Amino acid sequence: MKVSVRIRRQASRESKPDYQTYSVECSEGNTILDVLNKIQWEQDGSLAYRRNCRNAICGSCAMRVNGRAVLTCQNLVGEELEDQTELLIQPLGNLPVIKDLVVDMTKFWNNLKKVDPYVSTASRQIPEKEFLQLPEQREKLQSAANCILCGACYSECNSAAVNDDFVGPHALAKAYRVMADNRDDRTKERIEQYNQSGGVWDCTRCFNCNEVCPVGVEPLDRISQIKQTILQQEKMEDSTALRHRRTMVELVKEDGWIDESKFGLKVVTDSGRDLKGLVSLIPLGTRMVVKGKMPWPWKFKPSAGKLEIKALINAVSQHLKDQGKI
Amino acid sequence: MTLKYAYYPGCVAKGACKELHDSTTGIARVLGIELVELEKASCCGSGTFKETDEFLEDTVNARNIALAEELGLTMMTQCSTCQGVIGRVNDKLKYGEQSQRDHVNQYLDGHHYQGTTEVKHLLWILVQDYGLDALKQKVQKSLNGLKCGAFYGCYLLRGQTMTRYEDPYHPHSLEDVFTALGATPIEYEGRTQCCGWPLASYATNASFSMAGRHLLAAIEAGADCIVTPCPLCHLNLDSRQPEVEKVIGKKLGIPILHLPQLIGLALGLNPEQLGLSRHIVSTSSVINSVLSR
Ligand code: SF4
Ligand code: SF4
Ligand code: FES
Repeated sequence: MKVSVRIRRQASRESKPDYQTYSVECSEGNTILDVLNKIQWEQDGSLAYRRNCRNAICGSCAMRVNGRAVLTCQNLVGEELEDQTELLIQPLGNLPVIKDLVVDMTKFWNNLKKVDPYVSTASRQIPEKEFLQLPEQREKLQSAANCILCGACYSECNSAAVNDDFVGPHALAKAYRVMADNRDDRTKERIEQYNQSGGVWDCTRCFNCNEVCPVGVEPLDRISQIKQTILQQEKMEDSTALRHRRTMVELVKEDGWIDESKFGLKVVTDSGRDLKGLVSLIPLGTRMVVKGKMPWPWKFKPSAGKLEIKALINAVSQHLKDQGKI
Repeated sequence: MTLKYAYYPGCVAKGACKELHDSTTGIARVLGIELVELEKASCCGSGTFKETDEFLEDTVNARNIALAEELGLTMMTQCSTCQGVIGRVNDKLKYGEQSQRDHVNQYLDGHHYQGTTEVKHLLWILVQDYGLDALKQKVQKSLNGLKCGAFYGCYLLRGQTMTRYEDPYHPHSLEDVFTALGATPIEYEGRTQCCGWPLASYATNASFSMAGRHLLAAIEAGADCIVTPCPLCHLNLDSRQPEVEKVIGKKLGIPILHLPQLIGLALGLNPEQLGLSRHIVSTSSVINSVLSR
């Protein structure tokens, strides 16, 4: 079959990008990487892209195909063309282009370093015998340990796109991997570190990382696990992000539905204690009142099932407490 | 056969976005869709319960779903986030091991989750159950010439991995509805991305920059308005639009409509009844362009 392939070309870091379309003879069973190879080998030797293992192991060949990042050696032409008429190939997002489909991954690596991605000293002071890990202990690390550092998740991350400080899904998946490792002896410091700005609370839960990760790391789920660990700490410095979570549970337990005005006051203004927070709500509050959008507390109607919900959340909380989970 | 659903309103449609509840029930009446409101339901947690513990999210929402099962009805949501959260729990429990259902049921005093119903967003109900041809026939005022940009919401597209209505990166259900109403869909980068709402209470700069890029892209692509099936997206894109403008340093002023408001206009419902005056960004340009036809 003849396939039309539209590729984003860019001669150098500084030059303007444009699109070039190639027509390639290939079959449905070819990978996208096969198609790129055909173009480079048979039509246009100037096309730049990364590849290595051809086997979804090395993570070199991640690019955007038809709007989201994939490993080009893994995805097949036939699948891509199920509902699209052409292949659109672009470099990974959120990273600067060096040439054509090759991006500069410096920021990606630097962000990884920020989470201190190594199992710490305990394991390095090598005991006489090997440092043992039970199968269950290893199992907890499995999904995160699958990461091949391909950059697909980072490319599609909504938070990384607007927030330079956010370390990104790959780094936080690794953070979970070392934090959950029984050989690591820095759990406490890690919890504090990942709780800081640039860490887990800067993720906006867009699900893109889970969606595009080619090897099932599901970074968002790893981020949730770190958040759970943070929320389990009794002595954690209070922050709006933590209050946000705790207040949600508290208010639903009380009323079934969220009383939004109460929520705003509790979370953003720390029940009136945070003056800056209070001031920041004034313009919003004023315009909500003017437009009749203000969720006045006296108009709020709790759920008719609120007592049942309270009992349920209490019982579940007790169960989680018994398990040492909250 | 009349379509009948167990209606899960969600917190926002009963509070800051009351116009969503009003327009949903308004169009249901005209379309002949019967809604039985789940009075005893509770907040789904908007994705944050899982951050305390997944079991909390599972039990609270298993209870919500059990309420619909007791009525023998499919649950209808009209919020992308509620859909993604409750839908995921339903997928997990319905298709998972019996032991998971048993564990959850131990905590549901007086209710029993069985895994016998579905959780469906209003948008999917319109496209799948009601049908776009039937919808087209109910149009009183064609929205001819109105250029609408869709804003889907992350949880609607990607929150569920088992039950999926469409490809999360090439969805077209909203655009199909626009076309059925006579409006023109505008494609722009960002229609499948995050509005920034989950960060709005503490990482305001990041949150509003997200909203800003998408709104700008929609305006540049020529959209007259944005239409969303998610009240949380609506809060960030409409109620916070003044802050968004400040963060990106550009005037926007683009009206953001809830999906049932757009449908309501086409069905000939009165803009006041649809709550179109309860927006922060004036919707008068949209109303005028529809009423002047
Ligand atoms: S988490 Fe997945 S997508 Fe992200 S870098 Fe690792 S392998 Fe690639
Ligand atoms: S879910 Fe969070 S980490 Fe993952 S891509 Fe979205 S914002 Fe980034
Ligand atoms: S070439 Fe190694 S992962 Fe694709």
